Amino acid sequence: MTSSSSPSTYGASRARQHLLVFAALAVITAIEIAMTQASIAASLANALFLAFSLAKATLVAAFFMHLRDDSRIYTAIFLLPVVLVLAFSTLMLMSAGGH
Amino acid sequence: MTSHSRTHEDEFRAGRELSLDHRKLGMWLFLASEVMFFGGLIGTFLHYKATIPSPESAELDTILVGINTFVLITSSLMVVLGLDAIQRGNRRGLATFLGLTALLGAVFLGGQVYEFVSLYRHGITLTSSVFGSSFFTLTGFHGLHVLIGVVWAALTLGKVLRGAYSAQDHVGVEVFGLYWHFVDIVWIVLFTIIYLI
Amino acid sequence: MTSDAIAAKPARAWRRYLGWSTDHKVIGVQYMVTSFFFFLLGGAMAGMIRAQLLTPDSTLVSAEAYNRLTTNHGSVMLFLWILPVLAGLGNYLIPLQIGARDMAFPRLNALSFWLLVPGGLLMLASFFVGAAEAGWTAYVPLSVAGPDGQTLWAISVVLLGTSSMMGSINFVTTILTMRTAGMTFWRMPLFTWSILATSILVLTATPVLTAGLVLIAMDRLVGTLFFSVPAGGDPILWQNLFWFYSHPAVYIMVLPAMGAISEIFPVFSGKPVFGYKMIAISSLAISLLGLTVWAHHMFTSGMDPRLRVPYMISTMIIAVPTGVKIFSWLATIWGGKIRLDTPMLFALGFISMFLIGGITGVFLAAIPIDLHVHDTYFVVAHLHFVLFGGSVSGAYAALYYWYPKVTGRRLDERLGKIHFAANFIGTNLAYLPMFLAGLLGMPRRVVNYDPRFTQLNQLASLGAFLLAASVLPFLYNVIVSWVSGPKAGDNPWRAKALEWKTSSPPPAHNFDTPPVVTEGPYDYGEPVQVSLAATPAAAGD
Repeated sequence: MTSSSSPSTYGASRARQHLLVFAALAVITAIEIAMTQASIAASLANALFLAFSLAKATLVAAFFMHLRDDSRIYTAIFLLPVVLVLAFSTLMLMSAGGH
Repeated sequence: MTSHSRTHEDEFRAGRELSLDHRKLGMWLFLASEVMFFGGLIGTFLHYKATIPSPESAELDTILVGINTFVLITSSLMVVLGLDAIQRGNRRGLATFLGLTALLGAVFLGGQVYEFVSLYRHGITLTSSVFGSSFFTLTGFHGLHVLIGVVWAALTLGKVLRGAYSAQDHVGVEVFGLYWHFVDIVWIVLFTIIYLI
Repeated sequence: MTSDAIAAKPARAWRRYLGWSTDHKVIGVQYMVTSFFFFLLGGAMAGMIRAQLLTPDSTLVSAEAYNRLTTNHGSVMLFLWILPVLAGLGNYLIPLQIGARDMAFPRLNALSFWLLVPGGLLMLASFFVGAAEAGWTAYVPLSVAGPDGQTLWAISVVLLGTSSMMGSINFVTTILTMRTAGMTFWRMPLFTWSILATSILVLTATPVLTAGLVLIAMDRLVGTLFFSVPAGGDPILWQNLFWFYSHPAVYIMVLPAMGAISEIFPVFSGKPVFGYKMIAISSLAISLLGLTVWAHHMFTSGMDPRLRVPYMISTMIIAVPTGVKIFSWLATIWGGKIRLDTPMLFALGFISMFLIGGITGVFLAAIPIDLHVHDTYFVVAHLHFVLFGGSVSGAYAALYYWYPKVTGRRLDERLGKIHFAANFIGTNLAYLPMFLAGLLGMPRRVVNYDPRFTQLNQLASLGAFLLAASVLPFLYNVIVSWVSGPKAGDNPWRAKALEWKTSSPPPAHNFDTPPVVTEGPYDYGEPVQVSLAATPAAAGD
């Protein structure tokens, strides 16, 4: 956590950071909605959607949930299940081929 | 004998050495289990999305739900601005932002209800097809989590209005915030896999 | 009455165990006693199963009743006996072992015990509305059809899983944030490490089963189509959701038992534990690897064939950290001054029987073998060696070891040895013949069987009845010693972990002054001083 600024300016810079993150989230969401109205190749669009989704989730987790500032133990606790779900979901998509 | 009593501070000293607050840690562990719960439902949705054609998904209203997504993201901003406020000792600011959080959460839920009703009017229901079952179950459980969050926000607001929380002691607000942001993250994922791809 | 006054009363003050308490020691005992009741219930069901299987065409039990018996025997033993008894042990011991006053969230702790009550009652109630009969594995579409008891079964398991998860949130938070001064991670007892490793699995795996059970419940109650084959529902999806939890579940059921025997071996050999760090790390490795192997239960299901070999490999890899532990235990005992008290006997029994179960697990991991023995009695034998020969032996070892701490009384050693002998002989007699029956082709879950399996089944049933009888000396011992056994004192086993540095039973607040830790929990003997004038003989060994 940054410590050099006085409480009031520190608080203000925190709020600024949060507003910037929000702006990024809003812009990405707007782009996503716009993309659904445009005709883009499905595989490219899907790859972008997944990347955007990952970016938005990371922004919320890192800045709104303060993972970036707090103990890395919290990050590890959150990351393990996320990795497991990614693996499980991939497998559930794969077994679509199966039998 | 009083010499055996520990202060509340002493008990969690090991946690402080690791920069852990036990209440935040408890919430993160709970959220880890929630990731896995939604993971099971998400895995189910994706499996069926890949194996069963779902013409019903053409009826999904991406623009409306996109706006609703924006509403939920804004509610997360409200939470974090409220936390910023109480970190500066500003209890009124916290109250305002908590109120806005609850309001925006309620608006999101209203949007979801609208979407559900219009899908039902098109014959897409919880029991009409595998798509219907997995769509409504996944979004329904998410909505339930939002509802719980809205109630929690209101309860927290009530505590703030009665004088709770200060610049030195606001872990309860942080813990609520973690839950709310998590529910937002789940929606970010759901919006993508249900409406976008 | 203040908690101090309650604690000062003799351990015979049994009434405090009947109500709501946030004291982890009370909750721990509540867990252990409740789960033992379910052990007896599950055992009675096993007795009926083995009575039915005494002859190849017995009509003692109808086919439907038999399916209900096998389903509920498994479900009760797993969800209402082994999982909660080990959770109860953890509940009792963790704060004591780390020098804390209680768990991080005492009220959540009480709630997690009391969830066992509706969970258990629902499973019992399911018998009266047409019991669950789709196996403890509840495969679809069978479990989506069938009697109403199946719905109660599903809800029961959701409640029990929730109880489990709440407990693990408490365990991890307590271990990470409440260790006393000087208790670094590398000075924690191995039982504590095992609970930490177990909790990782509980928190990551249980919710996936919960999701699957919710889907089954919704199909049954509301008419959703998740597992409706005509609508496109996929039975293999259920298998994936189910086994994602139920495989790690077996490690949840064995890691704390291994933790308990890791405590027992150094104490009863009078030596430091060999490979303390390796045992701790192996527990974590088993935990994490355990999340990657579940589809080895599905080799014959029609799953994607490309995935089978990776699962075989990951399953075989788990044998490595398990082997590290076994060799470390053996090295701990080697050269020690061994005391064959009952806890040590059960711990030794654990090694030999778990070894048989574990090695046959590696057999089953090999796809070509599994294709032939899947769903035969080979699997039944394997699972009972690891769960009964393993986890239950470990649980008994733990109960004998920590009983003096909990009650302040000693158990009778002679009765303990009789119990051990009957348990050891009974387990081997009950389950060894089943390996052979499976290899010869006897399927599991059958109410009647081909007459060529008769002798093997009769041997197995004999072993089962011996196991049933073996519980009697244990029950008698536990009850009578609690009332009038010899006083135990603080540290009857001369152990070094923190729970032995306070009275038996401990006061309500556990320690009169918070302990400060300066050494590990197994540091027996003086540190060895090596001088430059050492003789060649002394340096040689």
